[in-house]
Amino acid sequence: MNLAFAHPLFLLALPLALVPLVWLSQRTHDYASLDFMDPDWLSTAVDWGLRALLSLSLLGLVLGLAGLHVRGTSIERVGTGAHIVLLIDRSSSMDQTFAGRQPTGDEMSKSTAARVLLEDFIQKRAHDRFGVAAFSTAPFLVLPITDHKEAVLAAIRAIDRPGLAFTDVGRGLALSLATHEADPAAASRAIVLVSDGAAVIDRKVQELLRQGFSKRRINLYWLYLRTEGSRGIYEEPRQGEEDTPQALPERHLHKFFLTLGAPYRAFEADNPQSVADAIAEIDKLEREPIRYVERVPQTDLAHWAYAIAAVCLAILLLAKLCEVGIARTWKGANV
Amino acid sequence: MINDRGNSVGAMPPAVDIPFRLAWRSSAVRAGAHRSRQGGTGGLFKDHVSLLDNPDPRRIDLRASARDPLEALRVRRFEQNSAITAYALVDVTGSMGVVGHTSKISLAADLVSVLAASARRIGDAFGIIACDSDVHGELFQRATRARAGEVEFAAELRGLTPNRRGVEGLIRASELIAGRRKLVILISDFQMSSQEMEDVFAALSPHDVVPILLRDSAEVEGLPNWGLLALRDVETGRRRLVAMRPSLKTRWCRVDADRRGRLRAIASRHGREPFEITDVIDWDRLATYFAGGGI
Repeated sequence: MNLAFAHPLFLLALPLALVPLVWLSQRTHDYASLDFMDPDWLSTAVDWGLRALLSLSLLGLVLGLAGLHVRGTSIERVGTGAHIVLLIDRSSSMDQTFAGRQPTGDEMSKSTAARVLLEDFIQKRAHDRFGVAAFSTAPFLVLPITDHKEAVLAAIRAIDRPGLAFTDVGRGLALSLATHEADPAAASRAIVLVSDGAAVIDRKVQELLRQGFSKRRINLYWLYLRTEGSRGIYEEPRQGEEDTPQALPERHLHKFFLTLGAPYRAFEADNPQSVADAIAEIDKLEREPIRYVERVPQTDLAHWAYAIAAVCLAILLLAKLCEVGIARTWKGANV
Repeated sequence: MINDRGNSVGAMPPAVDIPFRLAWRSSAVRAGAHRSRQGGTGGLFKDHVSLLDNPDPRRIDLRASARDPLEALRVRRFEQNSAITAYALVDVTGSMGVVGHTSKISLAADLVSVLAASARRIGDAFGIIACDSDVHGELFQRATRARAGEVEFAAELRGLTPNRRGVEGLIRASELIAGRRKLVILISDFQMSSQEMEDVFAALSPHDVVPILLRDSAEVEGLPNWGLLALRDVETGRRRLVAMRPSLKTRWCRVDADRRGRLRAIASRHGREPFEITDVIDWDRLATYFAGGGI
């Protein structure tokens, strides 16, 4: 316990709490002789009980006035987890189902499937910190790396809003790297790229990414939401087809990621179940120990002190109402 | 005139006459109203003696002389009625000053003035000694036949604020009144241990001790049945909180009854049962008690 006082000067009144030990709070009545009346256990108990209550109420009032509180602290703990930036494709194709249609009835669009599963993922990972970035034609930072779960969840819930135009993976990745750059804590780091397609990455951007990934160790996961009929990551070019990034962007992006030197895993998912499997796999892989700081806010104890004092005073008031005296009916001369 | 404790200082004592009758014979020379060992002119026939032994021809009993086989002249002798000396020892320890349904010190003042007047009216000497931890320096009157001294004494007694404790004063007083057998009226609330009672009665044993117990019903029967009662012992100054309830009140009544029982046992062993006064003095009962003369 890390106790502190807002107004320590009031503590000077603390010795007041000892007064009831020597002072009887009831109005006393003269009595001829108590020597012959044996002390009665109940009376003794009531006496000391009331003294203790008075003492306690004074103590409570003084501590309440002094503003007793537990100082807020931050505790460093070790758990398993990572700092993860979720990089999410916000291109309009994400609004379609895995079959490449507009969702109807209870069908799920790719973004909805990703949203539901990522929400689970975030809630399951207690000690992770998440950042969220999105990209379309241009990348945009949604949330820097933070441990505010609610904010992260809110950002994820927004990803199935209708998407924008195209896909610029390269600058999105650059933004994710920058997000990691802005987070100074020591932790294992990962980028989870969720997209349903790829695009050609500019040479200059490629160079930038290579530099970024070589600077620090960042795990890269690519969760490729494959629309039915589109080309897969591992697909070889067909006979007579050109093997260029323009023709097979997914295959070439994959190859580019392999050349980065960073630990890299790609998951190809073509239905919600395989998305779940992929996320479970990421969950399994990101099991590095992490130091995280748990913040304990300042707790005000003054109102508890006042409450205890109030209860004690209420009982004392009852006791006061129970007080009786000795009849004094003698008027003077009794002739 | 009322003092700060509500005792009326100038109250006149009631006009009551208490007749004393004693079970013992005084040996005082002074003529008075009580039977004595002295032969003399008044009162009851005692015996016959020869004229030579008691040369008072006015008392020659002709019938007895005629019956005497030795033909001597027989003279009647009579008992002399003598005066006695009475002392009132008034306990003025702290407990006597507590006021409840009555004021014990005021009751004592009434008793003292009535008994003094009654004694002096028939020619007895009456002295008053107030006692606490020692004999009270000011409230002390040697036995005297002079009247009216008791009025001031009673007034002073009513104005007294008792605050000391102990029975040593009573024992000291017994030393002061040592000598011929006297009537000693012991006025107290007897808030003392058995041992202290024994000591007091033993110290006064040469005398005819009349214990008068003053009680205030507010201290025992008059206590409330329920409630928190904070009490201060006036003699020790100790404070005590009492959670009063019927069972505890019964216990306190029993303690009080026990104390009175002990007093009765000890006092009876020394000649007289105590006379108990609770709240109000019943003068007729008191007169009957004194007329009984004890054992």
